[in-house]
Amino acid sequence: MASVKRWVAVGLTACFVLALAYLPPRGAESSGKSPFVGQPLWGTPARQHAQALADGWRKVDATLRLLEDRQRVRRDSLRAGPTIVFHGATLPPNSVHNVETMIDSVWRDLGLGETKVRVTLVIELQRPYSSDTPTPLQDQVAYLAPDSTHRTTCLAYLPAGTYWTLVILGKRDARHEGFGRFEHWLQAGLGPCAFYAAYGTPGRPVESWLAARHWDVGLYLGSHGIAGERFSSLDLLGDPRSPWYWDGVYSFPPATVACLAGRPRGCRAAVLTGAAEERTIPIPNVVLVERRWWRVQHLLPGERYLGDIARTVGRDRFLSFWTSGQPVDTALALALKRPVGEWTADWERGFVRPIRLGPTPPLGGVAIALTIAVFAIVVVAGTASRRQIR
Amino acid sequence: MRTILVLLSVSGIPRVLIGQRWERQVQERVQRTIAAVGPSPRLPVVRRSGMLNTDEAASFQTTLAQHTPYAIIAVCDDDCSRLQLTLLSPSGSDIAKERNSESLPTLHFTAATTGVYGIRVVMEGCRWNPCWYAIAVVPLRKTPS
Repeated sequence: MASVKRWVAVGLTACFVLALAYLPPRGAESSGKSPFVGQPLWGTPARQHAQALADGWRKVDATLRLLEDRQRVRRDSLRAGPTIVFHGATLPPNSVHNVETMIDSVWRDLGLGETKVRVTLVIELQRPYSSDTPTPLQDQVAYLAPDSTHRTTCLAYLPAGTYWTLVILGKRDARHEGFGRFEHWLQAGLGPCAFYAAYGTPGRPVESWLAARHWDVGLYLGSHGIAGERFSSLDLLGDPRSPWYWDGVYSFPPATVACLAGRPRGCRAAVLTGAAEERTIPIPNVVLVERRWWRVQHLLPGERYLGDIARTVGRDRFLSFWTSGQPVDTALALALKRPVGEWTADWERGFVRPIRLGPTPPLGGVAIALTIAVFAIVVVAGTASRRQIR
Repeated sequence: MRTILVLLSVSGIPRVLIGQRWERQVQERVQRTIAAVGPSPRLPVVRRSGMLNTDEAASFQTTLAQHTPYAIIAVCDDDCSRLQLTLLSPSGSDIAKERNSESLPTLHFTAATTGVYGIRVVMEGCRWNPCWYAIAVVPLRKTPS
């Protein structure tokens, strides 16, 4: 009888180990290919190479444009708000005035007045397509941060695209819900420059940390959502009941997913990504925001993380973190007066109910597996009991 | 003529103040400090100003005349909490260092020989980067011995 019990124990343990190893995680679907996709979506190697070259050219082109603009821009010393420069078309004076009024209002909403680091917003209006020259960077936002040669200027390069170009030119009203409001677009466009304006140049550890992660936690200083009243990068994951929601979740690094599950250790790791190594800040210090920045975040909705910290802890404590010479985790924990992971997990719960992680066997699969397991155990037990010597 | 220029430079004659609030702050501050230490009317006051982030340093060179007492003063804006001021010999070695006076370090020095001396300023504490600073090398009236 003792032998039977041992066999049963071994069988159950083996089942458990196999389940642990092979059951799919929650929400995962089979990776069956669609019969409608005839060729790979990522293109041939030659095409990928051409796209990488074009991407490199666009980045260099954008950097040169930023440097040229920084040299050329003449500041209006009477204006506290950002200076605005338009590229791509000559605007009627009333359009320029409208945009300036709007950005001044955005500036005041952010609680900014005269700032040590001043912001210049270069708005690139959509140009007509030309086959003679490569298309310049028209859909990627870029920032030229202050450096030792220009300590008090932060330049934001904001491609307007077709929709906002028509709005700026007065040919279309910004009423379409899907695009949000014009002032939201301008406020989001300030990006890291809003942080430079509000809190000055960060200390070396913080600047290095932000550079390592492409400023994904400091893209938006406002208190609304980045593209509307409550819209954040979390909304781009879609409905949690849809299959692509889980595809989206599992496309992020493990620490990001763990933080979505409300685990403080995961949140800490997600926040401190890039904080371990001290990088040399290049000159010129160009921050190129990824086209689909919401897909490469280490924290969701990371774009407002530092803005929310600043609002929570107050200006003085945030400044002490921002300019600190201590490692990021120490400086941040001091400013928050709590461990980083715990504070961030609570912050995360304010946006999303913690997702449940771990394996989830499908119901049919469980029934079949249990039937097979019970059958196997019965067979083994029967065989073992017949072979016992009494 | 030279005397008039020096007097104009250190007196309280209103100047067109341009630039940011913090720049104006340090210019006014250094102006008041120069007036307070009592500059010699015979020699010009050398002034430098700029911006630094925390832990950054800037330096410049100036000629100091033999047997002339100098006050070397540095001021910074309201966001600056600590400024270090160092006087360097023509060979580059430290002659004097002042880091205890927080945002108003001052050095007094009389050069034994005329030469080009270095002055280095280090922004040791700035709560809102960058912080403005201004330095003035003020020749003082010689006290009768």
